[in-house]
Amino acid sequence: MTKPIIEFHSVTKNFTLTSQKTFKEFLPALFMGEKTHDAFTALSELTFSINPGETVGIIGPNGSGKSTILKLIAGVMSPTVGKVRVKGKVSPLIELGAGFHPELSGRENVYLNGAILGLSKKKIDGYFKQIVDFAELWEFIDQPIKHYSSGMYMRLAFAVAVHVDPEILIVDEILAVGDTAFQEKCFKRMDEFKKNGVTILFVSHSLDAIKAFCSRAIYIDHGRLVADSTPPTTACEHYLASQNPS
Amino acid sequence: MSEILKEIKAVFKWRQLLFQLVGREVKARYKQSILGYFWVILNPLAQMMVMSFAFSIILRIPTNATSNIPYSIFLFVALLPWNLFSSSLMSASNALVGSASLITKVYFPRTILVIATVIAKIVDFLFALIILVGYMVAFQIPINANILWVIPIFLIQQIFTLGLSFFFAASNLIYRDIQYLLSLILTLWMYLTPVIYPADLVPDRYKIIFQLNPLSVIINAYRQTVLGGGIPNYTSLYIALGVSLITLLLGLSYFKSREKIFADNI
Repeated sequence: MTKPIIEFHSVTKNFTLTSQKTFKEFLPALFMGEKTHDAFTALSELTFSINPGETVGIIGPNGSGKSTILKLIAGVMSPTVGKVRVKGKVSPLIELGAGFHPELSGRENVYLNGAILGLSKKKIDGYFKQIVDFAELWEFIDQPIKHYSSGMYMRLAFAVAVHVDPEILIVDEILAVGDTAFQEKCFKRMDEFKKNGVTILFVSHSLDAIKAFCSRAIYIDHGRLVADSTPPTTACEHYLASQNPS
Repeated sequence: MSEILKEIKAVFKWRQLLFQLVGREVKARYKQSILGYFWVILNPLAQMMVMSFAFSIILRIPTNATSNIPYSIFLFVALLPWNLFSSSLMSASNALVGSASLITKVYFPRTILVIATVIAKIVDFLFALIILVGYMVAFQIPINANILWVIPIFLIQQIFTLGLSFFFAASNLIYRDIQYLLSLILTLWMYLTPVIYPADLVPDRYKIIFQLNPLSVIINAYRQTVLGGGIPNYTSLYIALGVSLITLLLGLSYFKSREKIFADNI
């Protein structure tokens, strides 16, 4: 029995959203005795664990808590109750190119984004050729990326993210970008990761992609775990059934 | 204190990101403008000329300096560090809000975002310093070894700036009004700091306000040591250092206490 790489221990995540973003709204609300906080439960008592090397598809309707799970794994959020344990380097592919700056050149952005993902300069130097090869952007690498098309932008971002040597790769519905050839390339690259034993979390609304790519699926609804199956077929059927009640 | 050490360790581990973020700030700001780096020089220069006209020629504020120093230099020695202070705080208050897309996606020590903006402002400051040096050479302002004091004074200023930056960055994320409040505070604060007037013009019974205001001690000490005066007042400097360290400690612990909910609130 291998030790899990990701563990959720009855994790509850509440958002206490301040309903007033400005003093103008906050002060009157305070004096009138109105609520200054809105509580919202995104995940409740979620428990599951993922072993190294698993490829897990996370499915569920919009607002079911999928992104919250990914954010907890990436370490950008902390659970309200419970414990999240993650062992290993996480490379998030959530909304690619989050750290890109439009005024900087492609080259500068590769270094910037690499640093955001925790790479040393030396490592980026070593990968630089591979990254640009993968993105097929040698011609434009010294242009400011504000002149890039959105496809080029995504290609560069994806290329950086997959060269981080992750132990855990988080992919959030991003493969809808790029042309078919590039999408194929991305899937090929993810297959390589799979073979190398990288744990992959994959959020997608395309059940076909999940069935084809993942070894397991977790179905989340209203912040609760509804189904969890290896292989993903059972969980996908559950989800389909709830979507089209006959 | 252990909190500060832990944070320093984390920032050191992520130093590569810090360098990149500072580079991004500095490069991106001037890439699209034609005059580029001249703006950092032009801005304070224009400010100095207009303020000198208003406060020296019209209001006739004395410099109270021992040697004969033109008001413009007297003002500039104080104005540059003041501008550094106020622009650091203004951009730090937006450091987290402006990087929302990063904060909700990738983990790294959040303090780096604030530290990077503060460092980027130092780069601007060094550029602006060139005119001051040129000006002092042109007017043959006598200097002496005491000028080396600016190094520790500058360090105290940055400790204080960083502490407040942490506080304003974190609180502005929760209430966006903080940045407007901050710009009001900074405007008022400048008049309570001897930037446009000499410190010894302050009546004795108000002196206490100035002693507790680290900026006023710092600005006054710059002026004294750069413009050929004596050594700075040790007691005042120690108080300023103490206040600055406490500010850093409080600012950082406030930041850390809010850090967990940054991604929830942005």
